[in-house]
Parts: sequence; structure tokens; C-alpha cells
Amino acid sequence: MSQSWYSSPSETSFDQLRRGLDELFERVGAGPSRRAGAFPPMNLFESEDGFVLTAELPGVKGDDIEIAVEGNRVTVRGERKIDHPSDASVHRLERQSGAFRRTLELPVEIDAEKAEAVHRHGVLMLRIPKAPEHQPRRINVQSS
Amino acid sequence: MSIETTSQQGDLQTREKAEVQREGTRPGPLFRPDVDIVERAEEFVVTADLPGVDQEHVDVRLENGVLSISGRLAVGLEPGWTPRYREYRTGGYQRQFSLSDGIDTEGIRASMRDGVLELRLPKSERQRRRRIDVSTA
Repeated sequence: MSQSWYSSPSETSFDQLRRGLDELFERVGAGPSRRAGAFPPMNLFESEDGFVLTAELPGVKGDDIEIAVEGNRVTVRGERKIDHPSDASVHRLERQSGAFRRTLELPVEIDAEKAEAVHRHGVLMLRIPKAPEHQPRRINVQSS
Repeated sequence: MSIETTSQQGDLQTREKAEVQREGTRPGPLFRPDVDIVERAEEFVVTADLPGVDQEHVDVRLENGVLSISGRLAVGLEPGWTPRYREYRTGGYQRQFSLSDGIDTEGIRASMRDGVLELRLPKSERQRRRRIDVSTA
């Protein structure tokens, strides 16, 4: 299991950790091949009338997320802040903090005016309707 | 359908979720959450990223000196959504730690906020005393 992005604790703090908390060994399926990518990871779904963009932003407050929709481009930016008490000694830091900015280009024109975003339990969900000309048109069948 | 994404160099990075292999009874994958562990004079503080999990769907238990964190997603996807582009997988979370006898297990407190679990593990009276002895020696 390679986890090179852990801060490597000094021997002393490692001994302290052993006295306090010791992680149980687990088989981790993804192993050393965990791919790195830009934060936040994003998924995109298409519904009949639009797109749903989801992004995992644990620990980021809604106020710290800025979303811009321009043409068919969606930009999500902000900062993930992690504050540990200044008197604390660090045993393990796996969670990353810092600024992020991601842009996603959608294949069709979207209706920026009607986009709606909800941030709940650390997951951002952005619903963006397609521009009216890309939405399916319902044609009523008249019965004679 | 082509989806283009861009990000700035030097910006925050993330890593693909590590899946925990286990013969579970629950369907769906389980991932190992990223954690921070810090120590203060009186306590250990463990913070774990559990995006999508709320207070009702997190489970923290202590059994035979083993502290287990597990969580399930509070919100699912809606039927009728077709996946077009995927950078992350969704599922439950699980991670375990063993505790030494230096922790006052009765005093452990847990809270959830914005998909982050915070656990406060107070040190036992004995452990605190030992620490003071060392610092004055």
C-alpha cells in the first residue's frame, strides 16, 4: 500500500501514535494504483432536460464555493481550509487543503440562468437545464 | 459525447478512493476514508472525510479496543440520470483503528459537519499524569 502523500511522522511522534491510536491493517483493493486527479472529483449525468454535475467537497462550506456558468462552460472554484489547533502535534495528514478551480465544458448549450446548486453533506449538486433549443420537444398526438 | 475538463497546475489534487475488500452483507463498494490524526495535551482528534454522509448515516463504535468508523450515503442518485462522465465512485466508507488503554473510552465524542466526521478521544487520567511527569523531569 503506497501512500506517498502522507506526511511522514518522525519516530518520536510515531511512538506516541502507537500508544494512542493504531490503525488496523486492512486489505485495500485499489492498492498502489490509486490515480491522482484534480480536486474536487466530479461526475456528470444527463437527464432529459439537462445535466447534473456532482462534486465531492467534504469540509468545504457552501459559502466557500463559487460557481460560474458561461456559455457551455461550468467553473467550480474555491478553497478547502483545514485548521488543526496550533498546539496539536500531527500524527497523520491525509486530507488535503488548498485552492481549487475546475472547468467543465459541456457538449451542448446550457441555460445558465436556470442553473441551481445545492451543497449538502460535503457533496455539491449542480443542476443545469439545457438551452431550450436542445430540450426534447413534446408533440401531442391528436386523436381523430 | 465529449466532456472537456481543465484545472490549474498547482491546485489542490485528489486521489482515487481506495476500496476496502471485505465480505460484506451490504451491497455496493466500501471505501477507506482519508483521515487526519492530531494529538493535543488532553486528547486525540481524528477527522475523516465522508462526503455524502450525514449524522444519521454514520456509525462509530468501540468494541474490544477497536474503534470502527462506517458511513452510508444519505442521498442517492435519481433514476433517469444517465452517467456521462465519471471521476469518482460512490459507496459506503469504513476504517478501523485500535485504541490503547491510554484513552478514556467513555469520553469519546463524535460530530458530523459538511461530510466530515470529527472524533475527540480524551486521554485517560493516567495518560495525562504520565505526560506531566515527563515534562517536569
